Amino acid sequence: MRGSWKSKLTSSLFVLPYFLCFSLFLLYPLISGVVLSFQDYDMLGSREFIGLENYKNIFTPGTYIHDQFVRGLTGTFKFVIYSVPFLVIVGLALALLVNALSARVRGVYRTIFFMPYAISATVMATIWMRVFDTDTGFLNLLLDRLGVSGPHIGWLNDTPWVWFALVFSTIWWTVGFNMIIFINGLNEVPEELYEAARLDGANAWQRLIHITLPSIKNISTVVLIMTIIASFNVFAQPFLMTRGGPGYETTVLLMNIFNVAYGQHQGGAASAMAILMGLIMMVISAVVYRLLSGRRA
Amino acid sequence: MKRMKWMHVALIACLVLALAACGSGKSQSRDQGQPGSSDAASPSASAAPKGKTELVFWAPFSGPDGPFMKKIVDAYNEQSDRHQVKFQIQPSGDYYKLLDNAFATKKNMPDLMIMHLDAIPTYVSKNLLQPMDDLAAKAGIQKGDYVDAAVNYATIDGKWWGIPLDIHPLIMYYNKDLFAEAGIEQPPTNMEEFLDAAKKLTDSSKGQWGYVVPTLWPQQFIFPTLIYQQGADLVDAEGKPNLNSPEAVKALTFLKSLIYEHKVSPENVAQDGEVKLFLQGKNAIQFNGPWMKDQWDKAGINYGVAPVPVFFDQPGVFGGSHTFVVPKEQTDAAKLEAIGDFLKYVAGHSIDWAQSGQAVASKQVLASPEFQQLTQQQTEVAKEFDYVHFAPPIPNWGALVGELWTQVNLTLLNKAEPQKALDEAQNKALQALAAQK
Repeated sequence: MRGSWKSKLTSSLFVLPYFLCFSLFLLYPLISGVVLSFQDYDMLGSREFIGLENYKNIFTPGTYIHDQFVRGLTGTFKFVIYSVPFLVIVGLALALLVNALSARVRGVYRTIFFMPYAISATVMATIWMRVFDTDTGFLNLLLDRLGVSGPHIGWLNDTPWVWFALVFSTIWWTVGFNMIIFINGLNEVPEELYEAARLDGANAWQRLIHITLPSIKNISTVVLIMTIIASFNVFAQPFLMTRGGPGYETTVLLMNIFNVAYGQHQGGAASAMAILMGLIMMVISAVVYRLLSGRRA
Repeated sequence: MKRMKWMHVALIACLVLALAACGSGKSQSRDQGQPGSSDAASPSASAAPKGKTELVFWAPFSGPDGPFMKKIVDAYNEQSDRHQVKFQIQPSGDYYKLLDNAFATKKNMPDLMIMHLDAIPTYVSKNLLQPMDDLAAKAGIQKGDYVDAAVNYATIDGKWWGIPLDIHPLIMYYNKDLFAEAGIEQPPTNMEEFLDAAKKLTDSSKGQWGYVVPTLWPQQFIFPTLIYQQGADLVDAEGKPNLNSPEAVKALTFLKSLIYEHKVSPENVAQDGEVKLFLQGKNAIQFNGPWMKDQWDKAGINYGVAPVPVFFDQPGVFGGSHTFVVPKEQTDAAKLEAIGDFLKYVAGHSIDWAQSGQAVASKQVLASPEFQQLTQQQTEVAKEFDYVHFAPPIPNWGALVGELWTQVNLTLLNKAEPQKALDEAQNKALQALAAQK
């Protein structure tokens, strides 16, 4: 009987392992982080409660932590704006392409496009630094061979090329994930809709615009929000590949939080920065979600 | 019914696995481009036999130099019937996080550890270390046993806080084949010879360069070196940052001129660009630390080693040093005696450490015939000990100069002018100083 205490107990037991993991690795650190953001912690044992001072400093121009926060947020925003459209569009494009293949090769290409997602950040960075290095990198040597004259482009330390390098390597690394989700979404679209459209004389482009895209609207929203969140959390690519350079052009917020915590030995301030970052991400995600699912034809 | 039972068992097995997977955590120790490092944490195998005092000794030697220290520890353990050292290598990229964690939680604290010499002022100011005067005296160790520069730096408020193991200063590596091709017989020793050689060695049509200027690491060693050679420092007499002094501007202008005026370096050099070019035999001269030796050996470069040329008025070179320190919490008399005994041994037997390419700080080993016969680089490195400088002994110095390296980077990428860049670095350093309470 549904609702009996026995079945409730069983279902609670099933949820319990996940709940334990969640509490230990998500809930407890989150609460600790919030508490820490109200303290002054030098990472070596001495803590002191200081209320909202960390937050006040972040919003006071001229303080060290304000500059770190603003610079980092600017870098992160730039990365989000430059990378998210491509990550979503390329993911969708790959999904459409893969789905258009014959059933035999479909699996092979799906795997190939997803494989980069499985490698670690350090390996990814090593590969792409080999490609983008100014004088020994594969790309510039290729351009030399093709007869492109002039000094080598500083893909890793010249604006705006550095953003190209970061976004491109990120796409290579993570687009497979979006592709897989889009493939699932595409598979859900009923085949009859396409048949009916073909009968009515719609060409491929019209089918795409009028059937495919509307049908995957919900899943597109999910992918978009997940991609925005993932791009907000960028750390490895700028840290390993460009070291936040040139200067601080590609310095992202997580890098600065890391620096304030471990370089400046100010754990409380870093925690406040991280909490603020989380809040900003939540607001943006909520806004995007509202905008996209609010419109019902 | 039977099927249901199987399902239950299978599900519970999955749950247990899930819990175990959750528990293993997702933390990855990530190396941050530290020279010559890899991920390895290998505790020394043996447990302390009965009656022996056991010491837990931490070191960040997770690169190819680790086995050389292990050799010393093993030899010590064998010859000592009263003490036993348990050697634990920590990943060098995360070393200070682990150490800070041990200090903060007071758990898992080693008895003895390696610390970089320029970190000592910070930890002394936080009252976390113990003076070594007593245990040194008991073990018969004297300050005069070690290179003066390192001992003086580690002496704060009249107390001796760290016993040095080695000193690793900036050193010059050069490609002997390229030098021979260009007809240069001796490595340069001053500004004139250096510019002359670098220009001869540069042929941009072949993609060959005399001296590739790094824009990120290891400018932390190169830029201060050029300042010391002018008889100045990065701090003023009161210990306040002095990053925009005329000497600093001159040093930065010189570095920039190598790229844009003398054109002995390509532009827009990315992180490790100069290393990659050196490994490919396209970069004739490299200023770096002794830890690079292993990479050059593996690549089969025919390289020579020499002291850094004296570009300006006097010899001077930036260096670091691995130093033994003891945490304040260590009060066990037997262990303190063991530490003294072990360090006395190391002072006399650190020739094994020198085999790793480092120049040791022990005067006894430096003077020994075994050391003098080492042909790789150790004797060249040791030549610089008379004029090696370390980072300013200001607590949290590293935190103050973060912006300095950003501005140096921007200047060398031709996105800033030296004076303005260093003014900005100075402003930010003072700002960071104000943020530290």
